[in-house]
Amino acid sequence: MPAMRDVFWNEIYALAKDNRDIVILSADFAAPSLDKFRLDLPSQFIELGISEQNMILVAAGMALEGKQPFCYAISPFITMRCFEQTRLYVAGMNLPITLVGVGAGFAYSDSGYTHHSVEDIAIMRTLPHMRIFQPSDNDTTKILAKLALESSSPVYVRLDRYGKENLIGNTDHVSSGMSVVRPIEKITLLASGNMLMTALEVALRLAEQNISIGVVDACIFPLDPNRFHEIFADVDHLITLEEHTFIGGIGSHVLELISDCDMKLRVKRFALDLSNGYVHEYGGRDLIHQQQKMDSESIISYVRSVCV
Amino acid sequence: MCLQKLRDKTLEIKNLVLDVFEQGHTGHIASSYSCAEILVALFYGNILRFDPQNPKWPDRDRFILSKGHAGIIYYSILSDLGFFPKEELMRFGSAGSICGVHVDGRVPGVEANAGSLAGGFGVAVGMAHAAKLDLKNHLVFALLGDGECYEGAIWEGAMHAAFYKLNNLIAIVDHNHMCCTGFIENRMGIEPLDKKWEAFGFDVECIDGHNFDEILNVLSRIRCRKSSKPLCIIADTVKAHGLISVENTPLCHGWAPKSAEAFSKARAELNGR
Repeated sequence: MPAMRDVFWNEIYALAKDNRDIVILSADFAAPSLDKFRLDLPSQFIELGISEQNMILVAAGMALEGKQPFCYAISPFITMRCFEQTRLYVAGMNLPITLVGVGAGFAYSDSGYTHHSVEDIAIMRTLPHMRIFQPSDNDTTKILAKLALESSSPVYVRLDRYGKENLIGNTDHVSSGMSVVRPIEKITLLASGNMLMTALEVALRLAEQNISIGVVDACIFPLDPNRFHEIFADVDHLITLEEHTFIGGIGSHVLELISDCDMKLRVKRFALDLSNGYVHEYGGRDLIHQQQKMDSESIISYVRSVCV
Repeated sequence: MCLQKLRDKTLEIKNLVLDVFEQGHTGHIASSYSCAEILVALFYGNILRFDPQNPKWPDRDRFILSKGHAGIIYYSILSDLGFFPKEELMRFGSAGSICGVHVDGRVPGVEANAGSLAGGFGVAVGMAHAAKLDLKNHLVFALLGDGECYEGAIWEGAMHAAFYKLNNLIAIVDHNHMCCTGFIENRMGIEPLDKKWEAFGFDVECIDGHNFDEILNVLSRIRCRKSSKPLCIIADTVKAHGLISVENTPLCHGWAPKSAEAFSKARAELNGR
C-alpha cells in the first residue's frame, strides 16, 4: 500500500511533466516518489533545507511570478512555524500555493507532541481564502492532488503518514467536499482523515447489534453549507470524529455551520482534550485514542447510550 | 537625471511625504527619510526598469520595500512617477484609500505586501529564483531596514539566495542604526553587519546612503556584475535625515508633527530655512 504522500506526489509528477510552472519546495522532507522529481525535473524540485519560513516566502515570490508552488514539510512545521508568512503572503495575497503537510493528528505518535499535528485545522481555517484538504484514503488523495493544482487559491493538504485503500467507495462527490460512505441515518457520523476508518468500524459493529448509523467522509474545509444542508437535513444526531483538538477543529466548524444555517441538529464531538496539556504517550496511536476516549469502543458506547 | 536634479528630487519627495502625512495624520517619516536618496536613485537615476503605464510589464525590474513601514515615501514616489494619481496619494490613510502605512500589493507599482519585517526579502528571493528558472534577465531589488536584520527569516533567505547563486538579487540595507525604541547596538548588537552578509555568501558594498555619488557608483555597475553571488549594499544612513531636531533621537521612529507649527518647523528644517 503506497503512502498517501507518494500517491499525492505521483499525481503531481504526472501533471508537472507538462507544466514547468509546477515547483516543489521541500524543507528537508522527502518521499520515494519525489526522487523522480529530482532526477527527471530537477529545476522543478527545490530543496530549501530546514527553513519553513523562507520556504513560504520563496513560494510567495515564485507564485507572484506565475509559478504554482507546492511546499512540503511535516504538518505542524508547515502550519505553525511559518504561520505568519502564510497569513501575510499566501492568504493575504490569495496566492495559488499548496502547503502539503504529512503527519495529520497522531500519525507521528511515537515522536512526541513536537510532531503531533492537532491544532492545524483550527489555525489554518482562520485564514481567508485557505481551504484544507484532508483525504481519508489513497483514491481521495489522488483526486485532491489534482484539485489542489487547479485551485487559484491557497490550499493546505493534511496527509496521513500511511496509505489506505479505498474507504469512501464512490469517489464522484469528493470535489463537493463530502461523500456519503454509509447511508444517512438519524444518527450519522461525520469523520475525516484517519478517523474515517474508526467511523466505519463503529458503523459495522453497531450494525451487528442492529443499530444503523450513517457515515459521511469530509475532505474539503470549510464545508460547503449547501452540501452540508443537503446531506444532513434529515439527521437528528450528528457525531463528529477528528484527530484534532476540540478547539476550532471540525466539530467546532460543524457547530458554527449548524448555527449559521439555523439547522436543528444535536451534535456530539469526539476529539482531543488538551485542557490538561499535550499528549506525552508513546504507546501508539490506538492507545492515545483510547486514553482520549476517541476510540471505537468509546464511540460505540456513546451511540448505544443515546439509542436506549 | 544629474546629481543636482536627484538632490532636488529628493527634497521634493521629502516635502511631498510631509504633505501626505499632514493629510493622513499617519505614516513613518523618519524611516522614510533615511532611505530617500536610495529610493530616488533607484527610481529616478536610471537604475530600475519600469513602466508606470504598464506596472506589470514582464521585463520590469522587481522592487520590494521589505521595510514596509516606509510606505509613505514609496507611495509618494510611485504617484510622482505616474503609477497612480496624486489625488489617491493624498487620501493616504483615509477611508477607502488603497494606501495605508505599510505597503499593500494592491497599489499599482507595488509587487507585494510588506509590513511584518523580513517577509518582503524572502518574497524577493523567491522572485529572483523564479527569474533564474525562467531564464529572465530582470533584476530583483529589496530594501531592508537594519533592525529588520534581527529577524531569522532574513538569514534563511540570505542562505537560500547564496546557495542558488541568485546574482540577480540586490539587497540594500538602510543602515540607519536605529530600531523602534532606540539605537540598534544598544538593543541587541548586529555588527559587523557587512561581515555577516559576506559570511552568508553575498558580495557586499558599503556606501554612504545619502551620497548620490556613492549610491550611483554601486548601482550603475549592477547590470555588468560578473559575480555569481547575490549583492548586499549596506547604506550608512541617518534616521529622519534632514530634520535636524529629530535626526538620531532615540524615539524618532514614531516621530509625528501634530500641529501647524510643528509642520512649519519641519518644513523649515527640511528646506534649510
